[in-house]
Amino acid sequence: MPYILLLPVLLLIVFIFIAGIIFGALQSLGYFPAIGLKTFTLKYYKYIFKDPNFFSSLKFSLYTSFVSSFLAVVVGVLLAYFLLANSKKDLGFYNVYKIPIIVPHTVAALLVFVLFSQSGWIARILYRLGFIHNMTEFYPLVFDSKGIGVILAYIWKGAPFITLITYDILKKINDSYSKVALNLGANSFQVFWYVLLPLALPTILSGFIIIFAFSFGAFEIPYLLGPSNPKALPVLAYIYYKSIDLFERPYGMVINMCITFYSLIMVVLYVLVFQLIKKYKI
Amino acid sequence: MKLRILGFLIILSMVFNIGCSKKVEEDISNKTWDEILKLANGTKVTFYGWGGDENINRWLDNVVAKELKEKYNITLERVPMLPDEYLPKLLNEKQAGTKGTIDIVWINGENFYNAKKQGLLYGPFTDKLPNFNKYINKNSPDVKYDFGYPIEGYEAPYGKAQMVFIGDTAKLDYLPRNHLELLELAKKYKGKITYPDVSDFTGSAFVRNIIYDIVGYEKFINLEPDKEKVRKTIQPALDYLLELKPYLWREGKTYPSTLAQLDNMFADGEVYITMNYTPFHVVTKIKEGFFPKTAKSFIFDKGTIGNTHFLAIPFNAPNKAGALVVINHILSPQIQASKYNPEVWGDLPVIEPDLLNDKEKELFKNVDLGEGVIPQDMLLKHRVPEMRADLIPIIESLWREVVLGNGKNN
Repeated sequence: MPYILLLPVLLLIVFIFIAGIIFGALQSLGYFPAIGLKTFTLKYYKYIFKDPNFFSSLKFSLYTSFVSSFLAVVVGVLLAYFLLANSKKDLGFYNVYKIPIIVPHTVAALLVFVLFSQSGWIARILYRLGFIHNMTEFYPLVFDSKGIGVILAYIWKGAPFITLITYDILKKINDSYSKVALNLGANSFQVFWYVLLPLALPTILSGFIIIFAFSFGAFEIPYLLGPSNPKALPVLAYIYYKSIDLFERPYGMVINMCITFYSLIMVVLYVLVFQLIKKYKI
Repeated sequence: MKLRILGFLIILSMVFNIGCSKKVEEDISNKTWDEILKLANGTKVTFYGWGGDENINRWLDNVVAKELKEKYNITLERVPMLPDEYLPKLLNEKQAGTKGTIDIVWINGENFYNAKKQGLLYGPFTDKLPNFNKYINKNSPDVKYDFGYPIEGYEAPYGKAQMVFIGDTAKLDYLPRNHLELLELAKKYKGKITYPDVSDFTGSAFVRNIIYDIVGYEKFINLEPDKEKVRKTIQPALDYLLELKPYLWREGKTYPSTLAQLDNMFADGEVYITMNYTPFHVVTKIKEGFFPKTAKSFIFDKGTIGNTHFLAIPFNAPNKAGALVVINHILSPQIQASKYNPEVWGDLPVIEPDLLNDKEKELFKNVDLGEGVIPQDMLLKHRVPEMRADLIPIIESLWREVVLGNGKNN
């Protein structure tokens, strides 16, 4: 019974996590006895699903998390390949790439703000060099409706994570495949594209799913760097949640349930990817 | 065997519980002030409240606690905890019927409303306090109502805050005295003025202030918390904010999500106006070198929103006598004057200037307010009461709908 050793963690997960989801689901259905709501109703769902703000928020969240996760994967895999290709040299210094993984998201948001806002360092340098003549000429990268600031922060956090997991996998891949390919006349790009990448793909995909699901449900970066309109889904949920009118809380819970639902889809995809990994014995 | 031990432990804990709840607490409501002072002598008082400002914490620990020890032999223990943490704690204690641990809470607004409604507060107690009777104007709306709800002696005023705007006089030709001048200014300095999103406390207060400036605050005293009725009442203000919108920073399409961000942009010169609910905020920021020396506070002729923060005693406070003595001491002119100093805290006093003798008045005159601030009497003359708490979320949602969303939902 090795599973019994997992019991403490499982208890924690069941009591805090599952209980949280159940209470959230009950409140989203209008069951919130602490403030006197005791009848189950779908009216909160109906209201939210009719609200155009909800859909623009959903679109914004899907868009920023997809673009940021995709770019983080591209950057992360290229970095991992670069590290692999140079693995014979002493690359101790390159371990700095791991730093963003341990830095909290709020700090990442602060960095992006300090660098990329219209009064940030980059704007100031461009101003000093005479490329722009006042701050507003600098293209707005933070608090913009395209969510560039949010995406930048997520790439900075996500890419090193992808590098970390793919580098190990790329290293484990038997290098005789690469040698055979090289022997048959492939150039190093072809080795990467046709040999290494397909073998590492399931791992990369699972990494993508992890950072996508995280950025879709996380609050702090879009709250700190996102535009006022549209707001990311977690920010919208937070506004309903913290309203001093407790009767608005069920609306926030409906949004949380939607986020949970998307995360569940991600979990299913994740499991499927793992089955793929098992099948190909990577 | 294990079961027996468990059973024994359960019984043991029950015995102890009974022991605790049986201890009869002395009723202090019929005691004279001298008896209360005697009871409080040599006791410990716990003070729960927001602990996010080092200046305030230092003042409580060094000034207030020290004086209490010397004068009344009371030990003040400050516990940093927000109302959304200590109120559920009190509620649980009430449901479980256990002994309390909190003697004083720092509270106001909807938290007070909820706590009083749920029977979590002890009172009425304010008429027991000699300093309350001597120095406080009991008929002032600031003392009778807290965010529109009647206080009825369940909390004593602690300090006052008031919204002020802060402008950079080096960059602006003039500081606006009403909403129309603000619009003129925004047209002149396109993209250099904005306010925080209403999800931010101060951003929400700014919108209410604009509403007051346009439609007056009297209309909101008895206004029903109904969205359509509120919309009708504030429509002129919503129209004004829409008119202002294209001249704001980023053409009003996006707003700083926190006040800290607006302060940052102000410090960087990205915008020329910021605002704050702590009226002497600007002094501290200039001293820190964060704001330019040319930053100056200003208010509207028709006034800006002010609120009062309070001290209350939980229903199950273990040391109610001690709590009364501490609150009474905080209402003394010496303590109120020391907290008024912007270098210490910069919190506006709650005691009525007319009720002070000349020596006590000196205490306040001697406080050096520093650069860029508006003196207290000017602030108090231009002070309008905070809006009822149940109207605030409605106004915030109307702002999001009409001003931020350009009225798409209409």
